[in-house]
Amino acid sequence: MKGLLTAAAAAAVSLAFVGGAYAADPIKIGFSLPKTGIYAPAAPSQEQAYDLWRDQVNAAGGIEVAGGGKRLVQFVQYDDQSDPAQAAKIYEKLIVEDKVDLLLGPWGTPHHIAVAGVLERHKFPMVGDTAASVILRSMKPGYIWFPTSALPDEMGKQLPLLLKSQGVKTVAVTTAQYIFSLENKKYMMEGLKAAGIQVVAEADYPVDIKDMTAVITKVKAANPDAEISLSMPGDSVLYTKQSAELGLHPKVQFMLVGPTASFFTHIFGDKLEGLITMGHWSPSLNAKAKAFYDAYEAKYKDAPDYLDSSLSYESCEILQAAVAKVGLDHEKLKTEFATDTFDTIDGPVKFNGVVNATTPTMFLQYQKDQYQIVWPEKAATAKLEMK
Amino acid sequence: MSTQLLIAALVQGSLYALIALGLNLIYGTMRLLNVAHGEFVMIGAYIAYWGITLLGLSPIIAIFLAIPFTVALGAAFYFGIFKRAMRSREFVERIEANSLLVFFGASIIIQNVTALLFTPDQRAYHYLEQIVHIGPAQTPISKLVALAIAGAVCIGAVAFFRLSTLGIAIKALIQQREASALVGIPVARIDMICFCLGFAVAGLAGVLVSMTEQISPYMGFPFTVIAFVVVILGGLGNMLGSLFGGLLLGVLETFGVALTAPSYRSIMIYAVFIAVLLLRPQGLFGTKRART
Repeated sequence: MKGLLTAAAAAAVSLAFVGGAYAADPIKIGFSLPKTGIYAPAAPSQEQAYDLWRDQVNAAGGIEVAGGGKRLVQFVQYDDQSDPAQAAKIYEKLIVEDKVDLLLGPWGTPHHIAVAGVLERHKFPMVGDTAASVILRSMKPGYIWFPTSALPDEMGKQLPLLLKSQGVKTVAVTTAQYIFSLENKKYMMEGLKAAGIQVVAEADYPVDIKDMTAVITKVKAANPDAEISLSMPGDSVLYTKQSAELGLHPKVQFMLVGPTASFFTHIFGDKLEGLITMGHWSPSLNAKAKAFYDAYEAKYKDAPDYLDSSLSYESCEILQAAVAKVGLDHEKLKTEFATDTFDTIDGPVKFNGVVNATTPTMFLQYQKDQYQIVWPEKAATAKLEMK
Repeated sequence: MSTQLLIAALVQGSLYALIALGLNLIYGTMRLLNVAHGEFVMIGAYIAYWGITLLGLSPIIAIFLAIPFTVALGAAFYFGIFKRAMRSREFVERIEANSLLVFFGASIIIQNVTALLFTPDQRAYHYLEQIVHIGPAQTPISKLVALAIAGAVCIGAVAFFRLSTLGIAIKALIQQREASALVGIPVARIDMICFCLGFAVAGLAGVLVSMTEQISPYMGFPFTVIAFVVVILGGLGNMLGSLFGGLLLGVLETFGVALTAPSYRSIMIYAVFIAVLLLRPQGLFGTKRART
């Protein structure tokens, strides 16, 4: 009996201690990133945006939790080895074992889709970021949201309109055999047809292509007004390098994935002048966007990726605003994400179902060391420049 | 158009041949399946990149840094692992599978250490990008330089294996390992030389590759795969075969793609590969090896 009493007393003391310590405990936010494996090159731009946000929040005393004051932010992070199945296991572990308070997105569409089921099962709401696919539109709304506005179906309508506005009559379309590129091609072809733009050359190629001479000479022979390169980062570099070597200089050059990453501008610099790419953010957008760009550059001595870094930071901002308003209760957070409008570095964001309903589909153009939003005109930060 | 494609085929083919040459040397003599071969190509490429970016060194000079570096790595592998391991009968009995696993591990470690040190970003530098016109075609000088060096080394290697005593000894070792030892060829020493030469060629190829395309910590594996295809096409241990195998692949990749579609690239390469395996398993230029 005495032993039992001692144990009870000890338990009471430790509970009191835990309770006392709880208010000062940092908030644990979990996520996985591909630190190794084929998608590893994509991880830093996202991770650095997350880290920048955490450091800024902690420097200001922590994240504001509704009714609970400020608490420091601590990340619980794992390497998913570029494997979506691994990401799903990690998110399960983050929720069940690590008992994180909040979650941030992994990298890329397949990883987000893999994680969505885990979120649903545990009723754990998460704002994703670096995913873009029409598949997102068909996902069950409830516990995941996507701030991107670069979805292939809309881009396929808008890019032909941009080209038409510049008097483009003929295009060549080259496509990497990768799901995102192929998805874009499907909608782009429909959009080009609807806009009355003629496709004079067309080629699909594997992403691990080593030499693009045959593709580029085919495009050059067709002499199109514009070239639409539905590429991924590796072949974007190869294409840009070899088209310069082979003297292919169309009036308008569009390139899908790659140009917004800082490595791309490091390699090509002002040779990119005039290049159009996907994206819906620019430091010229507003004061918050500029402050993010400057803080990122000051911390990492490098520019953020206009897509992945800005989207990742944006998802952190949405999370921060929601927690400040409703606290850490998952059901309240779910309602908050689904219904509120959030002020972010990419302007106001409100979700409809799982996707961003406020940010229009935009295009960026490289102009004097920076990408500017040039389409649609009403959202433009600079005027579209033609060669 | 065809001149343009021919230049591309020659540049690509000569680089493939060079990379395969290194792989063939190590496999031919010691039966070691170096699946990390591409990673040593990548290391050579990074040496050229940092040489020109940090020190302003021409990639041609970087060759003389890359070769000693990859040779030193090769020597470390040889003395640290394989020299000892090859004394064990169990290891030698399953040498191909065992070495494959050792190099597979090495490949993962080298890739990720490089990514950790230099970030996984893609990189490229500008060197001799002035365009020259050859008939109707045009190409940057850097590609012609890469072609000249890769071509010269490949042809030099073929001559070396035909004319020099060491080259003939290596060939003997490739053809009949046990008999070579019996006639007094210093097998262990030649193993070591071939091992280091194989790595040296990988380092050199890396520098040349970096002159023609972007580099990243993950660039190596596709080269390893291509090198294996070239080696099988040309015949295991057959240096002249490697040269022709590399060129054949270069031609397939450019002319084949131009005549069909780029999406058929892999299908064409592997169709030829499988056809060779079925019809001439000893390789296009290989001779049937006597079982020892």
